[in-house]
Amino acid sequence: MTANLTAAPRSCPVHHGYEPFDQNDPFPAYAALRSEEPVMFDERIGCWVVTRYDDVKAVFEDWKTFSSENAQAPVRERGPEATRIMLDGGFTAYSGLSARVPPEHTRIRKVAAKAFTPRRYKALEPSIRQHVVTLLERMLARPEAAGDFVRDLAYDVPTVTILTLIGADTGKVDTFKRWSDSRAAMTWGDLSDQEQIPHAHNLVDYWQECLRLVADAHEHERGSLVGDLVRAQAAGDEISDHEIASVVYSLLFAGHETTTTLIANALRVLLSHRDQWQRVVDRPSLIPAAIDEVLRHSGSIVAWRRRALADTRIGGVDIPKGADILLVMGSANRDAAKFDDPEVFDIDRPNAREHLSFGFGIHYCLGNMLAKLQARIAIEEIARLIPDVRLREDARIAFGQNLSFRSPVSVPVEWEARA
Amino acid sequence: MPKITFAAADGETRTIEANIGDSVMETAVRNGISGVVAECGGSLSCATCHVIVDEDDFASLPPMEEMEDEMLWGTAVDRTGTSRLSCQIRVTEDMGLRVTLPETQV
Repeated sequence: MTANLTAAPRSCPVHHGYEPFDQNDPFPAYAALRSEEPVMFDERIGCWVVTRYDDVKAVFEDWKTFSSENAQAPVRERGPEATRIMLDGGFTAYSGLSARVPPEHTRIRKVAAKAFTPRRYKALEPSIRQHVVTLLERMLARPEAAGDFVRDLAYDVPTVTILTLIGADTGKVDTFKRWSDSRAAMTWGDLSDQEQIPHAHNLVDYWQECLRLVADAHEHERGSLVGDLVRAQAAGDEISDHEIASVVYSLLFAGHETTTTLIANALRVLLSHRDQWQRVVDRPSLIPAAIDEVLRHSGSIVAWRRRALADTRIGGVDIPKGADILLVMGSANRDAAKFDDPEVFDIDRPNAREHLSFGFGIHYCLGNMLAKLQARIAIEEIARLIPDVRLREDARIAFGQNLSFRSPVSVPVEWEARA
Repeated sequence: MPKITFAAADGETRTIEANIGDSVMETAVRNGISGVVAECGGSLSCATCHVIVDEDDFASLPPMEEMEDEMLWGTAVDRTGTSRLSCQIRVTEDMGLRVTLPETQV
Protein backbone atom coordinates (compact mmCIF):
# COMPACT_ATOMS: atom_id res chain seq x y z
CA MET A 1 0.00 0.00 0.00
CA THR A 2 1.34 3.42 -0.87
CA ALA A 3 1.74 6.09 1.77
CA ASN A 4 1.73 9.19 -0.38
CA LEU A 5 -1.43 9.43 -2.35
CA THR A 6 -2.32 12.36 -4.50
CA ALA A 7 -5.91 13.32 -5.12
CA ALA A 8 -6.85 13.01 -8.75
CA PRO A 9 -8.90 15.71 -10.45
CA ARG A 10 -12.57 15.17 -9.80
CA SER A 11 -13.59 14.05 -13.24
CA CYS A 12 -10.42 12.10 -13.97
CA PRO A 13 -11.45 9.77 -16.78
CA VAL A 14 -8.90 7.23 -15.60
CA HIS A 15 -11.02 6.45 -12.56
CA HIS A 16 -14.43 6.87 -14.22
CA GLY A 17 -15.37 9.52 -11.67
CA TYR A 18 -14.74 7.22 -8.70
CA GLU A 19 -13.53 9.05 -5.59
CA PRO A 20 -12.71 6.43 -2.94
CA PHE A 21 -13.50 8.54 0.14
CA ASP A 22 -16.40 10.65 -1.16
CA GLN A 23 -19.69 9.05 -0.11
CA ASN A 24 -22.14 11.80 -1.04
CA ASP A 25 -23.22 10.25 -4.35
CA PRO A 26 -20.91 7.48 -5.48
CA PHE A 27 -23.55 5.76 -7.62
CA PRO A 28 -22.91 7.39 -11.03
CA ALA A 29 -19.23 6.43 -10.72
CA TYR A 30 -20.18 2.89 -9.68
CA ALA A 31 -22.36 2.59 -12.80
CA ALA A 32 -19.52 3.86 -14.99
CA LEU A 33 -17.07 1.41 -13.42
CA ARG A 34 -19.43 -1.54 -13.87
CA SER A 35 -19.86 -0.81 -17.55
CA GLU A 36 -16.39 0.51 -18.45
CA GLU A 37 -13.87 -1.10 -16.13
CA PRO A 38 -15.46 -3.51 -13.62
CA VAL A 39 -12.08 -4.52 -12.22
CA MET A 40 -9.92 -1.39 -11.99
CA PHE A 41 -6.63 -0.80 -10.23
CA ASP A 42 -6.80 2.43 -8.21
CA GLU A 43 -3.31 3.58 -7.29
CA ARG A 44 -4.69 6.20 -4.88
CA ILE A 45 -5.70 3.48 -2.45
CA GLY A 46 -3.51 0.65 -3.75
CA CYS A 47 -6.51 -1.59 -4.45
CA TRP A 48 -8.17 -3.38 -7.33
CA VAL A 49 -11.71 -1.99 -7.28
CA VAL A 50 -14.34 -4.66 -8.11
CA THR A 51 -17.85 -3.42 -8.88
CA ARG A 52 -19.97 -6.16 -10.51
CA TYR A 53 -22.30 -8.36 -8.45
CA ASP A 54 -21.06 -11.75 -9.63
CA ASP A 55 -17.40 -10.80 -9.16
CA VAL A 56 -17.93 -9.36 -5.68
CA LYS A 57 -19.89 -12.41 -4.55
CA ALA A 58 -17.39 -14.85 -6.04
CA VAL A 59 -14.49 -13.19 -4.19
CA PHE A 60 -16.38 -13.23 -0.89
CA GLU A 61 -17.18 -16.91 -1.39
CA ASP A 62 -13.62 -18.00 -2.26
CA TRP A 63 -11.96 -17.34 1.10
CA LYS A 64 -9.13 -19.72 0.30
CA THR A 65 -7.87 -17.51 -2.53
CA PHE A 66 -9.03 -14.17 -1.16
CA SER A 67 -8.01 -13.60 2.44
CA SER A 68 -9.65 -11.11 4.77
CA GLU A 69 -6.33 -10.42 6.52
CA ASN A 70 -6.24 -6.82 5.24
CA ALA A 71 -9.84 -5.97 6.21
CA GLN A 72 -8.78 -3.90 9.24
CA ALA A 73 -5.48 -2.52 7.91
CA PRO A 74 -5.24 1.29 7.93
CA VAL A 75 -5.85 2.61 4.42
CA ARG A 76 -3.47 5.46 5.24
CA GLU A 77 -0.24 4.31 6.81
CA ARG A 78 -0.06 5.13 10.52
CA GLY A 79 2.14 8.18 11.18
CA PRO A 80 5.13 8.09 13.57
CA GLU A 81 3.44 10.02 16.40
CA ALA A 82 0.23 7.97 16.28
CA THR A 83 2.35 4.81 16.20
CA ARG A 84 4.29 5.94 19.29
CA ILE A 85 1.10 6.81 21.20
CA MET A 86 -0.44 3.43 20.46
CA LEU A 87 2.71 1.50 21.30
CA ASP A 88 3.14 3.37 24.61
CA GLY A 89 -0.56 2.85 25.39
CA GLY A 90 -0.32 -0.92 25.01
CA PHE A 91 -2.56 -1.00 21.96
CA THR A 92 -2.29 -4.54 20.58
CA ALA A 93 -5.75 -4.97 19.04
CA TYR A 94 -6.16 -5.74 15.38
CA SER A 95 -9.33 -7.64 14.67
CA GLY A 96 -11.95 -9.66 16.52
CA LEU A 97 -13.12 -11.69 13.55
CA SER A 98 -13.38 -9.83 10.26
CA ALA A 99 -9.65 -9.77 9.51
CA ARG A 100 -8.86 -13.16 10.98
CA VAL A 101 -8.55 -16.19 8.69
CA PRO A 102 -9.25 -19.91 9.11
CA PRO A 103 -8.54 -21.96 11.11
CA GLU A 104 -8.19 -19.24 13.77
CA HIS A 105 -11.28 -17.39 12.48
CA THR A 106 -13.35 -20.59 12.51
CA ARG A 107 -12.35 -21.36 16.10
CA ILE A 108 -13.06 -17.86 17.48
CA ARG A 109 -16.22 -17.30 15.47
CA LYS A 110 -17.64 -20.53 16.83
CA VAL A 111 -17.17 -19.34 20.40
CA ALA A 112 -18.38 -15.79 19.69
CA ALA A 113 -21.45 -17.00 17.79
CA LYS A 114 -22.54 -19.03 20.81
CA ALA A 115 -22.69 -15.86 22.87
CA PHE A 116 -24.54 -13.96 20.15
CA THR A 117 -27.66 -15.93 19.37
CA PRO A 118 -31.23 -15.09 18.33
CA ARG A 119 -32.61 -16.10 21.72
CA ARG A 120 -30.29 -13.70 23.51
CA TYR A 121 -31.28 -10.66 21.51
CA LYS A 122 -34.93 -11.57 21.04
CA ALA A 123 -35.16 -11.35 24.82
CA LEU A 124 -34.00 -7.75 24.43
CA GLU A 125 -36.81 -6.79 22.05
CA PRO A 126 -39.15 -5.28 24.69
CA SER A 127 -36.39 -3.12 26.15
CA ILE A 128 -35.24 -1.98 22.69
CA ARG A 129 -38.83 -1.02 21.88
CA GLN A 130 -39.22 0.84 25.16
CA HIS A 131 -35.96 2.69 24.52
CA VAL A 132 -37.14 3.72 21.03
CA VAL A 133 -40.48 4.96 22.39
CA THR A 134 -38.78 6.96 25.15
CA LEU A 135 -36.45 8.66 22.67
CA LEU A 136 -39.30 9.43 20.26
CA GLU A 137 -41.47 10.88 23.04
CA ARG A 138 -38.59 13.07 24.15
CA MET A 139 -38.14 14.27 20.58
CA LEU A 140 -41.88 14.93 20.13
CA ALA A 141 -41.99 16.95 23.32
CA ARG A 142 -39.83 19.65 21.75
CA PRO A 143 -41.86 22.78 20.93
CA GLU A 144 -40.15 23.34 17.57
CA ALA A 145 -41.69 20.15 16.04
CA ALA A 146 -38.41 19.33 14.33
CA GLY A 147 -35.55 16.99 15.02
CA ASP A 148 -32.75 14.87 13.60
CA PHE A 149 -33.25 11.11 13.46
CA VAL A 150 -29.50 10.49 13.69
CA ARG A 151 -28.94 12.57 16.83
CA ASP A 152 -32.33 11.89 18.45
CA LEU A 153 -32.73 8.17 17.75
CA ALA A 154 -30.26 6.22 15.60
CA TYR A 155 -27.22 7.29 17.61
CA ASP A 156 -28.45 5.85 20.90
CA VAL A 157 -30.59 2.81 20.11
CA PRO A 158 -28.09 0.25 18.83
CA THR A 159 -25.34 1.62 21.04
CA VAL A 160 -27.29 1.02 24.24
CA THR A 161 -28.32 -2.42 22.94
CA ILE A 162 -24.77 -3.62 22.28
CA LEU A 163 -23.45 -2.11 25.51
CA THR A 164 -26.20 -3.99 27.36
CA LEU A 165 -25.35 -7.27 25.61
CA ILE A 166 -21.65 -6.85 26.28
CA GLY A 167 -22.17 -5.70 29.84
CA ALA A 168 -20.47 -2.33 29.32
CA ASP A 169 -21.57 0.99 30.86
CA THR A 170 -24.72 2.20 29.07
CA GLY A 171 -24.20 5.64 30.59
CA LYS A 172 -21.16 6.18 28.37
CA VAL A 173 -22.73 6.19 24.92
CA ASP A 174 -20.86 9.34 23.91
CA THR A 175 -17.53 7.85 24.92
CA PHE A 176 -18.08 4.62 22.99
CA LYS A 177 -19.32 6.58 19.96
CA ARG A 178 -16.21 8.78 20.08
CA TRP A 179 -13.99 5.70 20.16
CA SER A 180 -15.89 4.15 17.25
CA ASP A 181 -15.59 7.30 15.19
CA SER A 182 -11.85 7.21 15.84
CA ARG A 183 -11.63 3.61 14.73
CA ALA A 184 -13.55 4.33 11.51
CA ALA A 185 -11.33 7.31 10.79
CA MET A 186 -8.02 5.60 11.64
CA THR A 187 -8.72 2.47 9.60
CA TRP A 188 -10.79 3.64 6.63
CA GLY A 189 -10.32 7.42 6.66
CA ASP A 190 -8.05 9.74 4.70
CA LEU A 191 -6.11 11.27 7.61
CA SER A 192 -2.82 13.15 7.73
CA ASP A 193 -0.24 12.19 10.37
CA GLN A 194 -1.32 15.18 12.46
CA GLU A 195 -5.02 14.36 12.21
CA GLN A 196 -4.35 10.83 13.46
CA ILE A 197 -3.06 11.92 16.88
CA PRO A 198 -6.31 12.47 18.84
CA HIS A 199 -7.73 9.28 17.32
CA ALA A 200 -4.66 7.32 18.44
CA HIS A 201 -5.31 8.40 22.04
CA ASN A 202 -8.94 7.33 21.71
CA LEU A 203 -7.99 3.89 20.38
CA VAL A 204 -5.67 3.35 23.34
CA ASP A 205 -8.53 4.13 25.76
CA TYR A 206 -10.94 1.99 23.74
CA TRP A 207 -8.64 -1.06 23.83
CA GLN A 208 -7.88 -0.61 27.54
CA GLU A 209 -11.63 -0.70 28.22
CA CYS A 210 -11.92 -3.99 26.29
CA LEU A 211 -9.11 -5.50 28.39
CA ARG A 212 -10.74 -4.19 31.57
CA LEU A 213 -14.10 -5.78 30.67
CA VAL A 214 -12.44 -9.18 30.26
CA ALA A 215 -10.52 -8.85 33.53
CA ASP A 216 -13.72 -7.80 35.29
CA ALA A 217 -15.59 -10.86 33.97
CA HIS A 218 -12.85 -13.08 35.39
CA GLU A 219 -13.18 -11.46 38.82
CA HIS A 220 -16.99 -11.27 38.96
CA GLU A 221 -19.73 -13.52 37.60
CA ARG A 222 -21.30 -11.44 34.79
CA GLY A 223 -24.53 -12.29 32.98
CA SER A 224 -23.23 -10.70 29.82
CA LEU A 225 -21.68 -11.67 26.53
CA VAL A 226 -18.21 -11.09 27.99
CA GLY A 227 -19.22 -13.26 30.94
CA ASP A 228 -20.36 -15.97 28.50
CA LEU A 229 -17.05 -15.88 26.63
CA VAL A 230 -15.05 -16.09 29.84
CA ARG A 231 -17.19 -19.02 31.03
CA ALA A 232 -16.81 -20.72 27.65
CA GLN A 233 -13.04 -20.38 28.05
CA ALA A 234 -13.21 -21.85 31.58
CA ALA A 235 -15.31 -24.73 30.24
CA GLY A 236 -12.60 -25.60 27.76
CA ASP A 237 -13.36 -23.58 24.63
CA GLU A 238 -10.11 -22.57 23.05
CA ILE A 239 -10.06 -18.77 23.21
CA SER A 240 -7.50 -16.55 24.94
CA ASP A 241 -8.16 -13.42 26.97
CA HIS A 242 -6.59 -11.34 24.21
CA GLU A 243 -8.94 -12.95 21.69
CA ILE A 244 -11.97 -12.30 23.91
CA ALA A 245 -10.91 -8.66 24.29
CA SER A 246 -10.49 -8.51 20.51
CA VAL A 247 -14.02 -9.83 19.98
CA VAL A 248 -15.26 -7.16 22.40
CA TYR A 249 -13.21 -4.58 20.48
CA SER A 250 -15.02 -5.75 17.33
CA LEU A 251 -18.51 -5.78 18.77
CA LEU A 252 -18.12 -2.38 20.43
CA PHE A 253 -17.68 -1.04 16.91
CA ALA A 254 -19.51 -3.32 14.49
CA GLY A 255 -22.32 -3.78 17.02
CA HIS A 256 -23.69 -0.25 16.66
CA GLU A 257 -21.83 1.87 14.09
CA THR A 258 -23.47 0.30 11.05
CA THR A 259 -26.86 -0.12 12.75
CA THR A 260 -26.97 3.58 13.54
CA THR A 261 -26.38 4.07 9.82
CA LEU A 262 -28.99 1.49 8.83
CA ILE A 263 -31.68 3.17 10.93
CA ALA A 264 -30.70 6.59 9.58
CA ASN A 265 -30.65 5.38 5.97
CA ALA A 266 -33.95 3.54 6.34
CA LEU A 267 -35.67 6.73 7.50
CA ARG A 268 -33.87 8.94 5.00
CA VAL A 269 -34.79 6.75 2.03
CA LEU A 270 -38.32 5.81 3.08
CA LEU A 271 -39.25 9.40 3.87
CA SER A 272 -37.92 10.56 0.52
CA HIS A 273 -40.24 8.04 -1.19
CA ARG A 274 -43.44 9.28 0.38
CA ASP A 275 -45.77 6.78 -1.31
CA GLN A 276 -43.72 3.86 -0.01
CA TRP A 277 -43.53 5.40 3.47
CA GLN A 278 -47.34 5.62 3.48
CA ARG A 279 -47.62 1.96 2.52
CA VAL A 280 -45.34 1.03 5.41
CA VAL A 281 -47.44 3.13 7.79
CA ASP A 282 -50.61 1.44 6.54
CA ARG A 283 -49.12 -2.06 6.57
CA PRO A 284 -46.27 -2.52 9.07
CA SER A 285 -45.84 -6.12 7.87
CA LEU A 286 -44.05 -4.60 4.85
CA ILE A 287 -41.26 -3.29 7.07
CA PRO A 288 -38.87 -6.30 6.94
CA ALA A 289 -38.89 -6.28 3.13
CA ALA A 290 -38.42 -2.51 3.15
CA ILE A 291 -35.35 -2.92 5.36
CA ASP A 292 -33.82 -5.43 2.96
CA GLU A 293 -34.37 -2.96 0.13
CA VAL A 294 -32.71 -0.20 2.18
CA LEU A 295 -29.74 -2.50 2.72
CA ARG A 296 -29.55 -3.11 -1.03
CA HIS A 297 -30.08 0.49 -2.11
CA SER A 298 -28.16 2.25 0.67
CA GLY A 299 -26.07 -0.21 2.63
CA SER A 300 -24.08 0.97 5.62
CA ILE A 301 -20.83 -0.53 4.30
CA VAL A 302 -20.31 0.09 0.58
CA ALA A 303 -16.84 -1.38 0.17
CA TRP A 304 -14.70 -4.01 1.93
CA ARG A 305 -11.22 -5.37 1.39
CA ARG A 306 -9.67 -8.73 0.59
CA ARG A 307 -6.14 -9.82 -0.43
CA ALA A 308 -5.22 -12.29 -3.16
CA LEU A 309 -3.10 -15.14 -1.75
CA ALA A 310 -2.13 -16.39 -5.22
CA ASP A 311 -2.00 -15.18 -8.80
CA THR A 312 -5.62 -15.31 -9.84
CA ARG A 313 -8.32 -13.71 -12.00
CA ILE A 314 -11.40 -11.67 -11.19
CA GLY A 315 -13.91 -11.07 -13.98
CA GLY A 316 -11.29 -12.06 -16.55
CA VAL A 317 -8.66 -9.63 -15.22
CA ASP A 318 -5.32 -10.96 -13.98
CA ILE A 319 -4.74 -10.22 -10.30
CA PRO A 320 -1.25 -10.76 -8.91
CA LYS A 321 -0.53 -12.60 -5.66
CA GLY A 322 -0.50 -10.18 -2.73
CA ALA A 323 -2.80 -7.64 -4.40
CA ASP A 324 -5.30 -5.77 -2.26
CA ILE A 325 -8.87 -5.84 -3.55
CA LEU A 326 -11.75 -3.51 -2.76
CA LEU A 327 -15.13 -5.20 -3.15
CA VAL A 328 -17.69 -2.47 -3.77
CA MET A 329 -20.92 -3.97 -2.45
CA GLY A 330 -22.64 -0.61 -2.89
CA SER A 331 -22.10 -1.08 -6.61
CA ALA A 332 -22.80 -4.82 -6.74
CA ASN A 333 -26.17 -4.10 -5.15
CA ARG A 334 -27.03 -1.86 -8.11
CA ASP A 335 -25.85 -4.19 -10.86
CA ALA A 336 -28.56 -4.46 -13.54
CA ALA A 337 -27.35 -7.99 -14.28
CA LYS A 338 -28.77 -8.95 -10.87
CA PHE A 339 -31.45 -6.36 -10.01
CA ASP A 340 -34.03 -4.88 -12.43
CA ASP A 341 -34.03 -1.06 -12.52
CA PRO A 342 -31.28 -1.17 -9.92
CA GLU A 343 -31.17 2.56 -9.13
CA VAL A 344 -34.86 2.54 -8.15
CA PHE A 345 -35.84 2.11 -4.50
CA ASP A 346 -38.71 -0.38 -4.42
CA ILE A 347 -39.86 -2.14 -1.27
CA ASP A 348 -41.66 -4.74 -3.42
CA ARG A 349 -38.44 -5.85 -5.12
CA PRO A 350 -38.62 -9.67 -4.96
CA ASN A 351 -34.87 -10.32 -4.70
CA ALA A 352 -33.75 -7.36 -2.56
CA ARG A 353 -32.50 -9.74 0.11
CA GLU A 354 -29.81 -11.02 -2.25
CA HIS A 355 -27.88 -7.81 -1.57
CA LEU A 356 -24.28 -8.20 -0.42
CA SER A 357 -24.32 -5.53 2.28
CA PHE A 358 -23.63 -8.11 5.01
CA GLY A 359 -20.97 -9.81 2.89
CA PHE A 360 -21.28 -13.48 1.95
CA GLY A 361 -19.77 -16.71 3.23
CA ILE A 362 -17.63 -17.37 6.28
CA HIS A 363 -17.37 -13.72 7.39
CA TYR A 364 -21.08 -12.93 6.89
CA CYS A 365 -22.15 -10.29 9.41
CA LEU A 366 -22.62 -12.04 12.74
CA GLY A 367 -25.08 -9.37 13.90
CA ASN A 368 -27.27 -9.20 10.80
CA MET A 369 -30.41 -10.33 12.59
CA LEU A 370 -29.88 -7.95 15.50
CA ALA A 371 -29.32 -5.05 13.09
CA LYS A 372 -32.52 -5.81 11.19
CA LEU A 373 -34.48 -6.32 14.41
CA GLN A 374 -33.52 -2.87 15.68
CA ALA A 375 -34.26 -1.17 12.35
CA ARG A 376 -37.65 -2.86 12.28
CA ILE A 377 -38.56 -1.73 15.79
CA ALA A 378 -37.46 1.85 15.05
CA ILE A 379 -39.57 2.05 11.88
CA GLU A 380 -42.58 0.36 13.49
CA GLU A 381 -42.63 2.87 16.33
CA ILE A 382 -42.12 5.91 14.12
CA ALA A 383 -44.88 4.71 11.76
CA ARG A 384 -47.14 4.33 14.78
CA LEU A 385 -46.26 7.50 16.69
CA ILE A 386 -45.31 10.02 13.96
CA PRO A 387 -46.79 8.83 10.65
CA ASP A 388 -46.83 12.44 9.43
CA VAL A 389 -43.08 12.91 9.92
CA ARG A 390 -41.30 14.25 6.82
CA LEU A 391 -37.82 15.21 5.75
CA ARG A 392 -37.24 18.93 6.17
CA GLU A 393 -37.52 20.66 2.83
CA ASP A 394 -34.22 22.41 3.34
CA ALA A 395 -32.52 19.14 4.29
CA ARG A 396 -29.30 18.58 2.39
CA ILE A 397 -28.02 15.35 3.82
CA ALA A 398 -24.25 14.92 3.71
CA PHE A 399 -22.26 11.72 4.19
CA GLY A 400 -18.99 11.42 6.08
CA GLN A 401 -15.71 10.93 4.19
CA ASN A 402 -14.68 7.28 4.36
CA LEU A 403 -13.54 4.42 2.15
CA SER A 404 -16.04 1.86 3.46
CA PHE A 405 -18.70 3.42 5.66
CA ARG A 406 -21.42 5.50 4.00
CA SER A 407 -23.16 7.25 6.88
CA PRO A 408 -25.51 10.22 6.72
CA VAL A 409 -24.37 12.90 9.13
CA SER A 410 -27.96 13.90 9.91
CA VAL A 411 -31.56 13.16 8.90
CA PRO A 412 -33.42 16.42 9.66
CA VAL A 413 -37.17 15.94 10.01
CA GLU A 414 -40.26 17.88 11.04
CA TRP A 415 -43.86 17.04 11.93
CA GLU A 416 -47.14 18.72 12.72
CA ALA A 417 -46.93 20.20 16.20
CA ARG A 418 -48.94 18.12 18.69
CA ALA A 419 -51.72 19.93 20.52
CA MET B 1 -27.69 -41.36 -6.48
CA PRO B 2 -28.96 -39.46 -3.44
CA LYS B 3 -32.33 -37.78 -3.91
CA ILE B 4 -33.84 -34.87 -2.06
CA THR B 5 -37.50 -33.94 -2.34
CA PHE B 6 -38.42 -30.34 -1.59
CA ALA B 7 -42.10 -29.62 -0.91
CA ALA B 8 -42.98 -25.95 -1.13
CA ALA B 9 -45.42 -24.50 1.37
CA ASP B 10 -48.07 -24.43 -1.38
CA GLY B 11 -47.64 -28.16 -1.94
CA GLU B 12 -45.58 -28.17 -5.15
CA THR B 13 -42.81 -30.76 -4.91
CA ARG B 14 -39.53 -31.26 -6.76
CA THR B 15 -37.15 -34.17 -6.45
CA ILE B 16 -33.50 -33.44 -7.16
CA GLU B 17 -30.54 -35.76 -7.61
CA ALA B 18 -27.90 -34.45 -5.23
CA ASN B 19 -24.12 -34.71 -5.05
CA ILE B 20 -22.57 -36.54 -2.12
CA GLY B 21 -20.78 -34.08 0.15
CA ASP B 22 -22.80 -31.03 -0.83
CA SER B 23 -25.14 -29.59 1.76
CA VAL B 24 -28.88 -29.79 1.27
CA MET B 25 -28.85 -25.97 1.14
CA GLU B 26 -26.31 -25.97 -1.72
CA THR B 27 -28.38 -28.58 -3.54
CA ALA B 28 -31.45 -26.33 -3.24
CA VAL B 29 -29.72 -23.10 -4.26
CA ARG B 30 -27.96 -24.64 -7.28
CA ASN B 31 -31.26 -26.05 -8.49
CA GLY B 32 -33.27 -22.89 -8.05
CA ILE B 33 -35.43 -23.97 -5.12
CA SER B 34 -36.62 -20.48 -4.22
CA GLY B 35 -37.92 -21.43 -0.78
CA VAL B 36 -34.34 -21.79 0.44
CA VAL B 37 -32.74 -18.35 0.64
CA ALA B 38 -29.39 -18.97 2.37
CA GLU B 39 -28.45 -15.31 2.64
CA CYS B 40 -25.22 -15.98 4.51
CA GLY B 41 -23.97 -18.77 2.26
CA GLY B 42 -23.81 -21.45 4.95
CA SER B 43 -22.04 -19.74 7.86
CA LEU B 44 -24.82 -20.35 10.41
CA SER B 45 -25.64 -16.67 10.66
CA CYS B 46 -28.99 -16.01 8.98
CA ALA B 47 -31.40 -18.94 9.53
CA THR B 48 -32.86 -18.47 6.03
CA CYS B 49 -32.31 -22.07 4.85
CA HIS B 50 -34.81 -23.51 7.32
CA VAL B 51 -36.43 -26.80 6.29
CA ILE B 52 -38.88 -29.09 8.05
CA VAL B 53 -37.69 -32.65 7.65
CA ASP B 54 -40.19 -35.43 7.06
CA GLU B 55 -40.77 -37.15 10.38
CA ASP B 56 -39.81 -40.57 9.03
CA ASP B 57 -36.47 -39.22 7.79
CA PHE B 58 -35.56 -37.04 10.75
CA ALA B 59 -34.02 -39.76 12.92
CA SER B 60 -31.77 -40.92 10.07
CA LEU B 61 -29.88 -37.60 10.10
CA PRO B 62 -26.87 -37.01 12.33
CA PRO B 63 -28.01 -34.95 15.32
CA MET B 64 -27.63 -31.20 15.08
CA GLU B 65 -24.91 -29.30 16.88
CA GLU B 66 -25.53 -26.66 19.52
CA MET B 67 -25.16 -23.64 17.24
CA GLU B 68 -27.63 -24.93 14.65
CA ASP B 69 -30.09 -25.51 17.47
CA GLU B 70 -29.55 -21.91 18.69
CA MET B 71 -29.96 -20.41 15.20
CA LEU B 72 -33.23 -22.29 14.71
CA TRP B 73 -34.71 -19.92 17.32
CA GLY B 74 -34.20 -17.13 14.79
CA THR B 75 -36.19 -18.55 11.86
CA ALA B 76 -38.94 -16.46 10.23
CA VAL B 77 -41.51 -19.25 10.65
CA ASP B 78 -41.29 -20.83 14.11
CA ARG B 79 -39.36 -24.07 14.30
CA THR B 80 -41.09 -27.42 14.63
CA GLY B 81 -39.94 -30.67 16.20
CA THR B 82 -38.20 -31.70 12.97
CA SER B 83 -36.80 -28.36 11.84
CA ARG B 84 -33.21 -28.17 10.57
CA LEU B 85 -31.01 -25.64 8.83
CA SER B 86 -30.31 -27.20 5.45
CA CYS B 87 -26.78 -25.76 5.27
CA GLN B 88 -25.85 -28.14 8.08
CA ILE B 89 -27.20 -31.34 6.47
CA ARG B 90 -24.63 -33.15 4.32
CA VAL B 91 -25.82 -35.26 1.42
CA THR B 92 -24.77 -38.88 1.92
CA GLU B 93 -24.76 -41.96 -0.24
CA ASP B 94 -28.23 -43.47 -0.71
CA MET B 95 -29.86 -40.48 0.98
CA GLY B 96 -33.53 -40.16 0.20
CA LEU B 97 -34.54 -37.07 2.12
CA ARG B 98 -37.91 -35.34 2.07
CA VAL B 99 -38.22 -31.81 3.42
CA THR B 100 -40.96 -29.19 3.49
CA LEU B 101 -40.14 -25.52 3.08
CA PRO B 102 -41.61 -22.94 5.43
CA GLU B 103 -44.00 -20.34 4.05
CA THR B 104 -41.28 -17.68 4.27
CA GLN B 105 -37.61 -17.44 5.25
CA VAL B 106 -37.50 -13.74 6.05
